[in-house]
Amino acid sequence: MDTREPTETQSGVLEFESVGRRFSTPARPDLWAVRDFSLSCRLGEITCIVGPSGCGKTTLLRIAAGLETATEGRVKLHDSTVCGPSRGVGLVSQEGGLLPWLTVERNVSLGLSIVGAGRSERRKRAARAIGRVHLPPEVSGSFPHELSGGMRRRVGLARVLCSEAPVLLMDEPFGGLDEQIRRSLQKQLVELWTQDRPTILFITHSIEEAAMLADRVVIMSMATRIAEIEVDLPHRRDPLSPEFLEHQLKIRQALLVGSERD
Amino acid sequence: MTLIRKIVLGSLVPVCLLAIWHAMSLSSSVAPSIGSVVGVLANPFSAPRDLDTTSLAAGARISILRVLLGFSMAAITGIGAGFLIGASRRGREILAPTMSAALAISPIAWLPVSIIVFGLSTPASVIFGPEAWRHNTLDQLSFAVVAVIWYGAFFPIAMNTASGVRGVRKAHIEAVSVLGATRTQRLTKVVLPASMPAIFTGLRIGAGISWRVIVAAEIFPGTRSGLGYMISESHEIGEYRYAFAAIVVIGAIGLVLDGIFRLLAWRVGHWRPKER
Repeated sequence: MDTREPTETQSGVLEFESVGRRFSTPARPDLWAVRDFSLSCRLGEITCIVGPSGCGKTTLLRIAAGLETATEGRVKLHDSTVCGPSRGVGLVSQEGGLLPWLTVERNVSLGLSIVGAGRSERRKRAARAIGRVHLPPEVSGSFPHELSGGMRRRVGLARVLCSEAPVLLMDEPFGGLDEQIRRSLQKQLVELWTQDRPTILFITHSIEEAAMLADRVVIMSMATRIAEIEVDLPHRRDPLSPEFLEHQLKIRQALLVGSERD
Repeated sequence: MTLIRKIVLGSLVPVCLLAIWHAMSLSSSVAPSIGSVVGVLANPFSAPRDLDTTSLAAGARISILRVLLGFSMAAITGIGAGFLIGASRRGREILAPTMSAALAISPIAWLPVSIIVFGLSTPASVIFGPEAWRHNTLDQLSFAVVAVIWYGAFFPIAMNTASGVRGVRKAHIEAVSVLGATRTQRLTKVVLPASMPAIFTGLRIGAGISWRVIVAAEIFPGTRSGLGYMISESHEIGEYRYAFAAIVVIGAIGLVLDGIFRLLAWRVGHWRPKER
């Protein structure tokens, strides 16, 4: 069952207003990574951006995270323009961005140690976050290189949970994992999302993943937005149901139109 | 088991060398016998009667103090310069060519220059002026020698620190930035721990060089104490057992020094996956 609260979902939490990012290289003085991109991520929704590699998805996410600046337009978070990283936004990148010299527990509670939280609070909240992503408590003292790829992604997820950011930016957080682990992580993300209802902007190049997670899928090609598809299915979706396959097909078709246009 | 194995395997070469030495001492009038060297080593606190030096232990102490002073100055300045070169492109452009050239010059080559620059000044002569002679230890840490040790250790420390700082992954910096880290926190939570293993490699190499340089610098005329001085004095009068004893002590201290830095390097770098 979809547990969305319809009254709250319409306001934009994270808004891209005609965002553009131009790079200037000697070979190509006018290289657009992103061009005239607008999107309003609604409160408590999962929005997926799907597109082929190099279409500007990651650049958009980095602009939203305050790690890069837009050369045109702007990104607004709760009505104020993003001009640098903010604690209200959590970022999960593909490799999880874990610091290899910190144990799992310290990686998870990194955000808390940055704001100066006490040791006991850090430990308590880290243990809770580690439990929420279904990692066994004994991994707390392990270093990232001692974990499998899937476990590392869970740690990355636990870290944003621990920081309790209401907006999560996820850059292919489950990329490069095998199908089974990927599916279980997707399931878990939906489960966590159902509990806290953060606003999520999720980037992927997997059509199935987008159809599995998103309330809305934005399709990108060649640095621009080419289509938007609402996935009005309840969460905890069955990937073999006709409705799911139908949505997946819609996304695939939109992507195909994009690639033909290229 | 592995420790015994390590000790046995590690002693193979020294034992062979001892055997060769023994054989040589039997047929040579110059090479001292193992027994006579052991005799010197067994009395580290008594000053040799036939040699114008302090005891072995006092010599080792003064050599170690000189190295400590020069090396700690090199560590402070080298890590600082390394951060500058590693973190700023301008800093790198300005300093890197000089560093590469300087690295190629043996620190000992600078000793005459260092003596001209620093003369006979020591920490004692700077602090206490004419009363310097009352502060025997401080009066022996001649700046000319300390500067040469600094020179020997500074460049490997700076170069390794720089490469450690340059190797810090942008993704790691961004990981703390998005969690709201300030500039200082980015430095303390990412740049510093990430470059720690490289810094310690530099410190270990620097310490090894310092220890080699001190002995060479003490052999140079003008120094009147330390293990190197003992070697040069025993050469003067042809009593080589003191030189051999000093060499053994130099090797032993070098081994301990390297062990300490290996341990420290492991402490700061054990989070890294083992390379195969």
